[in-house]
Amino acid sequence: MLVGPEAPEGLADIELVAQLAAGSQEALAKLYDRYGRLAYSVALRVLGDPGRAEDAVQEAFLKIWNHASTFDVRRGSLRNWLMTSVRNRSIDYLRGRGAHERQEVQLQPALAEASARSDPWREVSLSLERDAVREAMSNLPAEQRQAVELAYFAGYSHREIADMTRVPLSTVKGRMRLALEKLSSYLQGKGLIDG
Amino acid sequence: MAEHDELEGSVAAWVLGALEAGEIAAVRAHVEGCPICQATALRLGRAVGALPLAVEDATPPAALRDRILTAAATSRELLPMPANLRTPAQGILPAVRSTKVSGQRHGWVPAYAIAASVVVALAVGLVAGDALGRQSPPPAAVVRSTLVGHQGLAGAQANVIDLRSDGVALVDFNGLPQPGSGKVYEVWLITAGGRADPAGVFVPDPDGSKFVLVGRSLAGYAQMAVTVEVAPSGTLAPTQQPQLYGSIA
Repeated sequence: MLVGPEAPEGLADIELVAQLAAGSQEALAKLYDRYGRLAYSVALRVLGDPGRAEDAVQEAFLKIWNHASTFDVRRGSLRNWLMTSVRNRSIDYLRGRGAHERQEVQLQPALAEASARSDPWREVSLSLERDAVREAMSNLPAEQRQAVELAYFAGYSHREIADMTRVPLSTVKGRMRLALEKLSSYLQGKGLIDG
Repeated sequence: MAEHDELEGSVAAWVLGALEAGEIAAVRAHVEGCPICQATALRLGRAVGALPLAVEDATPPAALRDRILTAAATSRELLPMPANLRTPAQGILPAVRSTKVSGQRHGWVPAYAIAASVVVALAVGLVAGDALGRQSPPPAAVVRSTLVGHQGLAGAQANVIDLRSDGVALVDFNGLPQPGSGKVYEVWLITAGGRADPAGVFVPDPDGSKFVLVGRSLAGYAQMAVTVEVAPSGTLAPTQQPQLYGSIA
């Protein structure tokens, strides 16, 4: 039930970004309605503090608002861009900007949720994706899941994780690699990401 | 190949943002030139892009939506000032109505109406001046500082006027070379902890000057800096060391 980019129920990401770049507050409201809940969930997961999570979400939305014209659809979805920004802002709050250089630029193309779906379908699609990703994470060996979570949701470097978990750095690298390979394979099998 | 063997194992940490700062450049450079690692980074990056979906669902406070929309109303930060609105003697725009901003969280952006009133007050003060009865902000509400150019921008400088009671700042740039084709100057506000927040972009006038309005409070920031970034909207994070900067604390 893919809906084309001109679907009346909802704007495609690229159209939404164009409106954001033009300064449309309505587009920003739509962006929030579309992804605000997920953004807040991510910030709260990282920070564990509702007030600071609100701050991080606000900062991330304002980043998108102020830099919408730099969005490159070839580098990933609007959702990925926003979530990366939320995650990085949250980690900055948590651990300080100097802890790591942040990678603001998206490497990854969008999940197959795709920007062109209508808002009603988007809700359903998002729910299905969340179930799949949680299942994929829960299927990872504990030490691999831990390595990914410490890096992504707590902002620790691989060396810090090695120190904390008292395993060689090469082991941490291997766990990260294996975890992401398994996630990639699982999500690809579910048709959620490209191969 | 030895480089590949050494760095290939760090690609997963790279896409997770888990490299040490000193390791990033080497891994990034290698990935850019290595088709194998590019494919790996792309594949693993897709998995990283899914990680936000693994979190437990949480409902944001209902007020957050309005708060963001309110903040956005004043966060298109830099509004270039027409040259005819400048005061040539000091390069300062004094006639700003003092507007108390209340109800902000952590010094964030004022409400719609207040923000609009600040901008309107600035414009009114600049154009009409004494005819409308200026209300200069109290002395303690205006803090001045200077940005100094270094290296390639050694001839440039800027005067920063922080209108604290209004939650905005005026910056008078001088001596700037043109940033080059496809480039703009981007202003950064930097916290004591080193976090750089973008505060807008501009291109100087042909004489190297520009008067800009930073439409947000400088509270909580220690320094202001300027870098050259890609046009038209700059970047999310600085891509170079600033050559024009100064303390604003």
